Amino acid sequence: MASVNVEKLVKKYGDLEVLHSIDLDVEDGQFVVLLGPSGCGKSTLLRTIAGLESSTSGDISIGERNVNGMHPKDRNIAMVFQNYALYAHMKVRDNMAFSMHLNKTPAARIEERVNWAASILSLEPYLDRYPKELSGGQRQRVAMGRAIVRNPDVFLFDEPLSNLDAKLRVQMRTEIKELHKRLKTTTVYVTHDQIEAMTMADVVVIMRDGHIEQMGSPMEIYDNPANLFVAEFIGSPGMNLLAGKIVEDSGKMICRVGELDLPLPEQMNISAGQDVLYGIRPEHLIPSETGVKATINVVEPTGPETHLFCHMSGHDVCAVSRERMNWKADEVILVEPTLEYVHLFDAQTKEAIKRKT
Amino acid sequence: MESSRFSVFARYVLAIAIVLMFVFPIAWFALTSIKPISAIFDKDGVVVFDFVPTYENYQVTLFGQQSIDVSENSRSDFGTSGGNSYDGRSSIVSSLIVAIGSTFLATTIGLLAAYGLSRLQFRGSQGMLHWILSQRFLPPIAIIIPMVFIFRDLGLRDTHLGLIIAHTLINVPIAVLLLKSFIDDIPRDIDEAAMIDGATRLQVFWKVIMPMAKGGMAATAVLCFIFSWTEFLLSLFLTNSIRTIPVKITTFVTSTGSEWGYISALGTSAIIPGFIFILLVQNHLVRGLTMGAIKD
Repeated sequence: MASVNVEKLVKKYGDLEVLHSIDLDVEDGQFVVLLGPSGCGKSTLLRTIAGLESSTSGDISIGERNVNGMHPKDRNIAMVFQNYALYAHMKVRDNMAFSMHLNKTPAARIEERVNWAASILSLEPYLDRYPKELSGGQRQRVAMGRAIVRNPDVFLFDEPLSNLDAKLRVQMRTEIKELHKRLKTTTVYVTHDQIEAMTMADVVVIMRDGHIEQMGSPMEIYDNPANLFVAEFIGSPGMNLLAGKIVEDSGKMICRVGELDLPLPEQMNISAGQDVLYGIRPEHLIPSETGVKATINVVEPTGPETHLFCHMSGHDVCAVSRERMNWKADEVILVEPTLEYVHLFDAQTKEAIKRKT
Repeated sequence: MESSRFSVFARYVLAIAIVLMFVFPIAWFALTSIKPISAIFDKDGVVVFDFVPTYENYQVTLFGQQSIDVSENSRSDFGTSGGNSYDGRSSIVSSLIVAIGSTFLATTIGLLAAYGLSRLQFRGSQGMLHWILSQRFLPPIAIIIPMVFIFRDLGLRDTHLGLIIAHTLINVPIAVLLLKSFIDDIPRDIDEAAMIDGATRLQVFWKVIMPMAKGGMAATAVLCFIFSWTEFLLSLFLTNSIRTIPVKITTFVTSTGSEWGYISALGTSAIIPGFIFILLVQNHLVRGLTMGAIKD
C-alpha cells in the first residue's frame, strides 16, 4: 500500500491542454473518487497515474517513488477497466494469474493467490470457464480478481460499473466498498455517476475542464459546494437555483427573485444590491403551512419521497416531501426553504458566498 | 404460415440451384479425370455416367507411369505423350513448398506490420497504410519484366525461394490490411491491461494479441494459400524447371492436342491440398473470438 501524490501535473495533446496543473494527494488506504462530466479529464488523470499516458510536466509519486516516465508494469498498480478488458483466450484462472506468470511467481504461490482472490470474489465455481461463459457482473469480478491477486500498491478503477445494469451496479458498488474495507488498498476510482461517488468515496474530487473544482468528503461537498458547478453537478434532483438581488428590507437582508422575496440566513457575507444565485436543494424546500406560493406542475412519487415540480412566480423549482399527501397537479401549495441550507452564489464569479465566521 | 412454408421451400430450391451451379464444373472435371479418352470425346454425344472408369490419368499424373504403358486407347487422334512429362508429382511438391512458404511469410510479416499499424502511433502511419494498399493496384503483368531481371540478377529465378518471395510480395498487402482490421477489433484496453499486469510490448503481442487474433490469422492464411496455390503469371515467368501446378497443367496443352484426361486428373488432385489446408484451419475460422473479453 502507498499514497499517491500528484503535483502540478499538466497533460497536453499537441497544443491542447487537457489537465491544468493538477495537485492531488491520496493518502495511504484512502478511497478517492474522481467525479466529473465527460471530457473533464478524470480518465486522463487516472491513465496518467497508471502510466498509460505520459505527463507533459509535473510529478507523480506512488509511495516514496517518483514514477514519472516509468513503465506501467513497474509502478505496482492494478487497474480495472470499464469494459473489463479480459483475455478472452484464457480461462478465468489464467486471466487472474497472468501477471504472476509474467513475473515467474512459483506455481504453488500462484495457485494460492488465485484461490484467495476467487474466494473473496465468489469466483471459485468459475475458475475453469472462459470469460465468454460468464455474465457481466462475473466478468467484472474477474477483472477485479486480476487486480487484487498481486497485492498492488494502488487500485485504479476506470468507470468499472458503467456497463452493468442498475441492480448489479448497486450490488457491485457494495462489493467494491467491502473489498476496500478488507484490503485497505489505496484506491483511485473514476466515475461520472454521482451516486457511486457519494456512496463509495472517502474523498470526492470534482473535476471540470481539466481543473479540480472541489475536493472533500461526500457530505462536505454536498453541503458546502464551493461553486455553482459543484452545486449543480451534485444532487438529484438538482439544486434549485434562482437569479436574484440582495435587498435590505426593514433591517434584514433578503433575496428578491422577481416578485418573490426569499429569506436568507444570518451572517452571510453579502451587501445590498449584490446580484446572486439563490440555491436551495429540493429536500430543503419543503411543503408547509407558511412560505412561498407555488403551483404544482408534476407530481413524481418515488416511494420514500415525493418530488413536486412547481412553478414559483415564473420560476421552475422542485420540492421534496417525505410525507404522503395526495398532491395533484395545478394545486397551489406553500413551500418553505430551510434557512440553514440556503446557498448563495455570486452571479458574476459563480463562487459560493461564504458565511461570516 | 402457408407463405412462410413456401418461402422456406423457395429458399431451399434457390440454395440447391446455386450449390449445383458451383459444384457442377468441379464434378464434371472430376468425372472427366476417370473417363477413358473415348468417353471424353464421344462423337455420338455427351457421355455422363455410361463409361468404364479408368485410373490411367491419375497413374500418369500422380504416379509417374509412362502414358504409353497404361494407355488402353489409341491416342493417335489426340496426340501422344512424350516420355513422362505428364508426371505432376514434382509440380505438386513445388506448389506445396511455395504456397506454404509464402503463406507463412506473408502471414507473419502481415501480423507484425498490422500490429504496428494498429497500435503504435507514428507520423505517416496512415500514409503507409495507403501505400501498402496501393501495391495491389498494379497488376502483376505490369511489373513482371523488371521482376524477372531482378530475380535473375539475385539468383532467385527458377528457385522455390524466389517464387516464395514473389508470392509473399503480392500477399503481404492484403495480409496487412486484413490482419489490421482484426487487431483493430481487439480493444486497446486489453493491451493496456496486459501492460499493467507487467507485460512488455512484445509479451503483449505474443501472449495476448496473437492468440486473440487467431481467427484473423487463419482467414488470412487461407486467402494467401489459395492465392499462391492458384497463381499462374509469376510462376510462369519466374521459373523454368520448377513448375507449380497451374503452370504444369498448361504444358498438357500441346501443339498436337490437349490432354484433357491428364488436365482433369491433375486439376482434380490440386483441389485436395487446399481443401485439407482449409479443413485444418477452419476450427479457428470462427467469428467472435474476442467474445467475452469486453462488454459488447
